[in-house]
Amino acid sequence: MPVPRTPYSGFLPTGFMLAVCFLLQGCPSPYEMRHENQWDSREQIGMAEASQVKLRAAQSRVFDTSDSRRILVAVVSTMQDLNFKVQVLDEELGVVSGKLLMSFERPYYPDLYYNLYDDQSLLLFSKNYRMWGPFWHRSDLVRLTVTVRKRNEKQSVVRASLQFYLQAVENPEPYQRFFQTIEKSLFLEGHPVQGPG
Amino acid sequence: MRDGITIGKMLVLAGLLLMQGCAAPQPSPDLLAPTEAQTKLRSFQSRTFDVADRKVAMRGVIAALQDLGFIIERANEPLGLVTAARFAEPDNRSVVGVTVTVRPQADGRTMVRANAIFNNTPIDDPKVYQNFFATLARSLFINKEE
Repeated sequence: MPVPRTPYSGFLPTGFMLAVCFLLQGCPSPYEMRHENQWDSREQIGMAEASQVKLRAAQSRVFDTSDSRRILVAVVSTMQDLNFKVQVLDEELGVVSGKLLMSFERPYYPDLYYNLYDDQSLLLFSKNYRMWGPFWHRSDLVRLTVTVRKRNEKQSVVRASLQFYLQAVENPEPYQRFFQTIEKSLFLEGHPVQGPG
Repeated sequence: MRDGITIGKMLVLAGLLLMQGCAAPQPSPDLLAPTEAQTKLRSFQSRTFDVADRKVAMRGVIAALQDLGFIIERANEPLGLVTAARFAEPDNRSVVGVTVTVRPQADGRTMVRANAIFNNTPIDDPKVYQNFFATLARSLFINKEE
């Protein structure tokens, strides 16, 4: 039995296609949509100082030891447990940085450059290929910096900053767990920073 | 009217499809807390050697890594850290990175801990670490002899 034609039946698929095309128009790729573009630098300047103070408090702990080497060794050991690759280690400055690759945007084909990617370098050379960095898989890099500084004769302040998916992590929970691990390895209890740090 | 509803449904579906994969991954609260499995792996990755001097142990570690074809990337003597990397078989399209820490113990011996990562997957095969420590023991012995 033939389907009766309505005045709109020819219009439907075209209309639908048009609507989809309209939706797709200027639509960034899912990869782009997962990232935030900060077009206006005033937004960054205008960020509330209060949240920075809160973040700093979540990222910092006071330990009752002035032995910065002991803390640095504990931090490096924890980073080894977490499979981070230590890239910067300076006892004088009291800084440790490391990276870890987590597969979020990993290519589906074997790509040597993915594993060779060095976020410290702008250029990547190989026998037959050269490429300007940074490349787009950099969002797979999880980066951690830990600083240790003397607070007074008996105490040190440890501060950790974590970057995940190109963004600074502001959620206090990962930092809390990190400090719990450091506490266990140092056999010392950390205190939140109060008063002049 | 029915067609109108169908278009609406299809548009919602198309919208949902477009939104798929648009959410950025979020860090888990346990991102910076080692898991039980990671802590267990530590015993395979550590070995104590009868060497009192950290510098001697560090030289041994560097020599062992050289024996295994690694290129040393970083070495920090005061904190006892060595990192190295090499291309891996069979097609040399993969990279193995290794981090070694050397820590003097209270009993005058030195503990060496190595952890290796193949591309971005941690190596949890104890044999790999046994092989590394066998090379290290040989290299420390040779260093002593020289």
